[in-house]
Parts: sequence; C-alpha cells; structure tokens
Amino acid sequence: MVKLDQINISNEGLTKFFSPIEASILRALWSDGEMTTSELTGKTNIPLTSVAGTLDRLVKAGYTTRRMENINGRVRYVYEPAFSEEEAATEITTKILDSLVDTFGPLARENFSKYSDKK
Amino acid sequence: MNISGEINCFGLCLKLSDYAPFVAFLVVISIALLAASLMLKKPKQRLITFVSAQLASLLGIIATFYIMKCSYMLTLYLYLAYVVISTVLIFAVLRYYDRIMITRLDAKPAGSVMKWAQDFVDGLVSAKVYYFDSAVPRAFASGRSIFVSIGLLELLNNDELKAVLAHEAWHIRNNSGMPYLKQLALMTFSSSSESELEYRADRFAAEIAGNDALFSARNKVDKVFI
Repeated sequence: MVKLDQINISNEGLTKFFSPIEASILRALWSDGEMTTSELTGKTNIPLTSVAGTLDRLVKAGYTTRRMENINGRVRYVYEPAFSEEEAATEITTKILDSLVDTFGPLARENFSKYSDKK
Repeated sequence: MNISGEINCFGLCLKLSDYAPFVAFLVVISIALLAASLMLKKPKQRLITFVSAQLASLLGIIATFYIMKCSYMLTLYLYLAYVVISTVLIFAVLRYYDRIMITRLDAKPAGSVMKWAQDFVDGLVSAKVYYFDSAVPRAFASGRSIFVSIGLLELLNNDELKAVLAHEAWHIRNNSGMPYLKQLALMTFSSSSESELEYRADRFAAEIAGNDALFSARNKVDKVFI
C-alpha cells in the first residue's frame, strides 16, 4: 500500500507517507466514510482540478474505491476508503519496522524492546 | 556493393532507359506537391497535396524498379519496404484508433446511463458516445466515437454537456480524419491549423447548445476540449 521510497520523516503528520492532497483526501474519507466528489472538494477545500487526478491515482493504487451512481439521468462518483485508518497505520508501521530490521538486524529488535519497555 | 556504387549504377540505368523522362517527371511532380503542401494554409488542401506527393514518389520508385537493370539495390528495397509498412501501419492504426481507445480506457456506451446524450449526438452525426472511468473532466473524439470521462459527466449540467458533445460531434462531422490530420500536421510541421479547428467546433457548439452553456462549460474545466 505505502511505498517506502515515498516516506519522508521530516514531513508533518500523514504527509510523511502521502502527498499533501492525498493526505487531505484520506483524512476526509476516514472521518466521513462515503463521499461524492463535490463533498470531497468542499471538505478538503482543494479545487477539482487538483483533486481529480489525485483521486484517479488513489483509486488505481488501491487506497480508495469508488462506484458510479446513476440518479435521474445524472451520474456521480461515490468514494470510500479501501482501508480504515487503523489498517493503514498497521501497514505503514509494519513496513517501516521490517525495513529497520532489514537494515540493522538484532540491533533494531533490541531498540524496539527498549522502546516498548520505556512506554 | 556500397552506397555510392548503388547510386552510380542507378544513374547509369536511368540514362540508358527510355523511361527516364517519366521518372524525372514524377520526381518533379512530387517535389512540387510537397512544396505546395508546405505552403498551403487550409488543412484539407495540405492533406491532399501531401498524400499526392507521397503517391507520386511511390510511383517514381515503382517505375525505377521496372527500368532497373542493376541487381543488389538493397537500399531501395529497404526503403520501399519501410514506406509500405509505415503507411499501412499509420493508416490502419488511425482507422481503428477509437477501437483501441475503447479497450484501453475500458469505455462503455453512454447510452446505457444517459440515453439522452446518445440521442442528442444521433441528431448531429452518426457517432457513438462512450464514457470512461476517470475523475478528470475530459472529452475527445476519435474515429466515429466520442469519449467523455465520468468526471466530466458529474461536473457539467445537461446544457453544458450538450455544448461539449456538439463540439466533439463537429470534429467527427467535419473531420472524420482528425487523427490523420494530426499525424500529417506532425509530419509536415504544421500544427497551427488546430486552433482554427477548435474555434470552428466551438462556434458550432454555441449554435447548437447556446453561448452561455458553452461559456460555462469552458469555465468549469480548463482543458475539456481536445
């Protein structure tokens, strides 16, 4: 789901793992569940020209799903997050821990247990 | 045999042949047509002269083969093969380009979700309307098909959508060979004609759907019309 080469730990919040627009969209979907395109542009306050391409990418990459609704001869998209926030957090954490173990081996494991002891 | 040897042999054969004036005539004609296609302003005339120039040079090559007494004209054989294959490929690909787009975009007939849209286009030109899965508002015509994205369908109201469909229908009605034109514009380095085509398509769209609808559709999406 998250590509490790996109992780930037100096960024704030979700933008560590996603682009700012992707992060806004995902936050909106996680808080509201199903949303139409106009609801998304309203909630995130990002113009459609910027959101549309990102939505296509998010769907293609499997972060969100969408279906087409047809009401009275009008069509519209309804978006849904493909993963819950918890599932995304688990996935990201696992990937990062895996890569740390991959790089530092037992040393990384030692630090994990130190870290959880401290908590 | 090297290239200069081939050319010498080629010249000698031409000199000895009775058909030499005929080949020379074809060469002059094709150069004149090519020059004309570069100078002409109207895309249609450009297209006709360019294709004629190609045909004249092709005839010239064929005539040359007939009068050739030399063997091993490998370069010419290769060139002829290239001309034949590339011409067939370009025309075949462009002729079936809308089929390719339907498959690539996984496009579906718009008549199944918005019957009025297909009916509206049927009144203007014989073309099929397809929609495809993308949130980016886009519309384009290819072959005898009009493609609109779902993003466009959800963004525009019916009047604005009519303006877009009329614009694309104009392209199909007046220039079913639009891809050929684009290809030839590329080959003849003349992309200037495109803005005029878009302008005329817009005028048609304004006539059919009204200026306001066209204007607001244009306003809603910066780059809807391709």
